[in-house]
Amino acid sequence: MKLIHGILPVFAAFGLSAVLYGQGRPAPAFDVDFTGYWTPALHEDGLERGNGPEIADYGGFALNDAGRLFALSYDPSRLTLRHHQCDAYVMPYQMRAVGNFRLWEERDPHTQQLVAIDVWAQTTEGHRVVWMDGRPHPPAWAPHSFAGFSTGQFVGNALMIYTTHLKQGWLRRNGSPESDQATVTEFIVRHGDHLSDTTIVTDPVYLSEPEVRSNDYVRQPGDHHVWLYACDDGEEITGRAPDAVPNYPFGKQPFAKEYSERYKLPFVASLSGADSIYPGFAAKIKNATDADALAKLQPVPNQPAQTSRATNPEPHDGEIHVLPIRENIYMLVGDGGNIVVQTGDQGAFLVDAGEGKLSDKVIAAIRGLSQRPIQFIANTSIHAEHVGGNSKLGAAGSDPSLPGSFFDLQSPGRATGLLSDPAHHATLMAQNNVVVRLEAAKAAADMIPADTYLEERRRKFHNGELIELFYEPNAVTDGDSIVHFRKSDVIATGDVFTTTQYPFIDLKNGGSVQGEIKALNDILSRTGYEHEEQGGTYIVPGHGYLCDEHEVLEYRDMVVIVRDRVQAMIKAGATLDQVKAANLTVDYDTRYGTNSGPWTTAMFIEAVYTSLKQPPARVAASK
Amino acid sequence: MIRFFASRCASSLLILGCSVSMFGQFPGRGGPPQPPPTPRAAARIDITGYWVSLVTEDWRYRQFTPPKGDYESVPISQAGKKVADAWEPAKDEAAGEQCKAFGAAGLMRMPTHLHITWQDDRTLKLETDAGTQTRTFHFGPPQGAGGDWQGISSASWDYPRPAIQTGFGGIDFGFTPPPPPGGSLKVVTTKLRPGYLRKNGVPYGSNTVLTEYFDRFDIPGGDTFLLVLSEVIDPEYLAQPFWTSTHFKKQNDASGWNPTPCTSR
Repeated sequence: MKLIHGILPVFAAFGLSAVLYGQGRPAPAFDVDFTGYWTPALHEDGLERGNGPEIADYGGFALNDAGRLFALSYDPSRLTLRHHQCDAYVMPYQMRAVGNFRLWEERDPHTQQLVAIDVWAQTTEGHRVVWMDGRPHPPAWAPHSFAGFSTGQFVGNALMIYTTHLKQGWLRRNGSPESDQATVTEFIVRHGDHLSDTTIVTDPVYLSEPEVRSNDYVRQPGDHHVWLYACDDGEEITGRAPDAVPNYPFGKQPFAKEYSERYKLPFVASLSGADSIYPGFAAKIKNATDADALAKLQPVPNQPAQTSRATNPEPHDGEIHVLPIRENIYMLVGDGGNIVVQTGDQGAFLVDAGEGKLSDKVIAAIRGLSQRPIQFIANTSIHAEHVGGNSKLGAAGSDPSLPGSFFDLQSPGRATGLLSDPAHHATLMAQNNVVVRLEAAKAAADMIPADTYLEERRRKFHNGELIELFYEPNAVTDGDSIVHFRKSDVIATGDVFTTTQYPFIDLKNGGSVQGEIKALNDILSRTGYEHEEQGGTYIVPGHGYLCDEHEVLEYRDMVVIVRDRVQAMIKAGATLDQVKAANLTVDYDTRYGTNSGPWTTAMFIEAVYTSLKQPPARVAASK
Repeated sequence: MIRFFASRCASSLLILGCSVSMFGQFPGRGGPPQPPPTPRAAARIDITGYWVSLVTEDWRYRQFTPPKGDYESVPISQAGKKVADAWEPAKDEAAGEQCKAFGAAGLMRMPTHLHITWQDDRTLKLETDAGTQTRTFHFGPPQGAGGDWQGISSASWDYPRPAIQTGFGGIDFGFTPPPPPGGSLKVVTTKLRPGYLRKNGVPYGSNTVLTEYFDRFDIPGGDTFLLVLSEVIDPEYLAQPFWTSTHFKKQNDASGWNPTPCTSR
C-alpha cells in the first residue's frame, strides 16, 4: 500500500508535467500512418497495367525525340535474352504495377524515432526503403538500383519522397524508356482507406518535361500472404548468336501503326510527346497527315547530334573518394579512371593506377585502407587514365615476393619494369600488348608492366582469393583486360565498359566494335545477379559509377544496336559520311553523346564503321 | 485502507482532470469567445488560380472520344454496359444534351483549364474552359435543389486527426500532436443530372455520390500540382466505387484559357 501511496502523487505530477510539456515546447508533427496492406485500384490505364500496353502507345508521355525513337526501336523479344528475363521494375513503374503492396515503419529501438518507411511490392518483389532520418543521398559514383535511393519527409498531410540512383528501365511496358538519370519526386496522401501516390518523374535523357502520374490503392484488412515473385533466367531461344539483341531499325517498326488503327486515332497522336498531354491537343493535330507521323519514326538526318544530359559521376574536386564495395575491395574515384583496391595481409592489389595527377592522394587513400604495401597493379589498357599513375603508385609499393626468387636472381633488372631494385617497387601486370604499345610510345620504364600474359587469362591468388585477368582482344585496344576478383565477385572492366561515354574504340591501338561487343558479353558471362537482375556481381567501370550486370547489359545492347544500324547502312552501300549524317545514335546521344573532347559521337560512329569495314586481323580470322 | 486509496485516487484524478481541463482552456483564456474563422480564412491549402490538365493517364479516353462500348478500366455494371452500348451522340445532340460528359463526375477528366476563385467567404468556384462549366463548392449545409450537370457540392477542409485523443485511456496528457499544417479540400457532390463518365456514353445516374479530395503539391523550387482524387459511387451503373486521380499544373496566368461549348463527339 505504501507503494500505491507513493505512486499516485507521481502520477498526478506526471499529468501536470505533461500539460506543461505541451505548453513549453512544440509538440511533434502529426506523421500520417501509411502502414498496412494496400491493393492498387486499376481504374486508370487498366489495360496497360494489366495485360500490357501496345507498341507505339506513347500518348500522354513527354517523351523527347530520343525517348520516342528508343521506344520505337524496342523489340519486346529483348526480354527473351537471358539477362533481361528477370528485369525488375524501376520504382515509378513498380508503384504502378499490379499486385499488392505492404508498407511498414522502421523505428530506432531505443528512441522510437522513425528511421524509414519500407514498401514491398508483390510484383518483382520490389522492396523500397524511404529513409526518414535525414540522411543524405549517396554520391554520384554510388550504385543505382531499380528502387533507387529515397528520402522522405512529411509536408502537410503528405509524405514527400525524393528518389535518385535509379537504374535504366521503362515508364511503360512497351519500351518507353526511363534512363538511369531520372529522379522522382513523390507525394503520398491518405484519405481514410484510400492511398494516392503521385509520381513526378524528371528524366533529362528521355523526357522533355516531368511525367506526372498517380496510383491509387485501397487498404486491405489483412495479409493475403502472396508476396513472392520468383524469377530465374533460362534458355528461351536456343542457338541465337551471342551478339544478337532484338531491335527494330529506325523507320521499320512493323507495329507502329497498329495502335492508332485499332482505336481510330490519328497516326501521329501517340507519337507527339509533351504536346499530347495538354488541352487542345486533338484540335491541334486535326489536320495532321500520315507523313507527319512517318517523320517521327526515324531520326531527322543532317542534324547536329544531341549531347549527354547525364550527370557526370566523377567528382572533379581534386580529391580521392573511397567507396567500399565488398569486404576488402574498394573503388577509388577522382584521378581519371576508377581504381580498384583489394587489401589484405599480402599487401594491396590494385586494378589500374589512375591518371597520375592525384597519385599522392591515391597513395594516401590506400594507406588509409591498409598499411601493407601496394604489391600488384594490374592495368586494364594502355590508356592514360589507367596507367598514368603507374610510376608513382609503383614506387610507393613493394613486392616482397621477389627477393630471393629465381627470376630476381637471374635478371633483377627485368623483374619489374626495368628497375634495378624490384623488391621496392610494386609489380605491374598487364596483357603483353600494353607493354608493346607503351614501349612504342616511349613511356617511362617504371610505368611499363613487366608481368605480362599473352592469351586468355592470367591467374593470381592473392589475399585469400583468386584474381583473374581475362584478355579481351581488339575491344577498346588490343591489350584490354578485365579483372575478376572471384571470391569478392567484383569485376573491374577498364574502359571496355563505362557509364560516361560511348565505348572509346581506339582503332589506332587495335580496338574494334566486334571485340568490344565480345568483351561486354564476356563480362556478362561471368556475372550473376542476386535478385531480379540486380545486385550480385559488382562491376567497376573504367569511368563512372559502381554498377552490376544490368548496366553492362544495357550498354551491351546499345553497342549492338548501333552496330546493327551501321552494318545495315554499310550493306546498303553507304559511305562513312552518309552513316554519320544519318544520326544513328539519336536515342543514345542524350545519354552518352558529345560533340567535343577526345571522344565524340562522330568518332564513335567512325570507329564502328571502320572496324566493320576493315576488321582487325584477329576478328576477321575468327569469322 | 481501501478508503484511503480511493481518496488518494480521486484527488489525483481531480488534479489530472484539472490539468487536462486547464490545457483545453488555454487557447481561449483572457477574452471573449471568438467566432470561428470563415472557411476562406481557415483554408488549409490554397487552390485558387489557373490550372491546366495533365492528361497522362487514360490518355486515349480523355484526349479523344473512344469507340462505343470501350469501358475498359471502369467497374461498370451490367446495367451500365447496356446504356453504354446504346450510346448515340446524335441522340444527345438532338436532345440538347451535349454536356452529358461535362457533368461533375466526368468534367475533371476532360482536357481543360481550371480557374478556381472564392466566390464568397464560404464558397469556392471552379470554372472549366472545356464545356464552359462552373462548379460551386459550398462550405456548410448543401444549398440548392440540384438536378443539373454539376449537382450540389458540399465542401470541407479535411486533414488527418485522431478519432479520439491519444494518451493513456483516452485522456490527452499533451501527447496528441497538432494536425499537420496542410490538408485537403473535400467535396461531396450529389443530386446530379445523369451524365457520362466518359464521352462515349459510359453512364452515371442521378443517385451518384461523387466524393473528391483536392490536394496541392509543391515541388521545392519547381512546379505546383493539384491532385483531384475522385470516388464515384453509383448503385445503378457501377459495380463498385470508381476511383480516378487527375492532375493539374499551376499556371501563373490565364494562358491557354479558351472557353469552348460542350460537345458530344
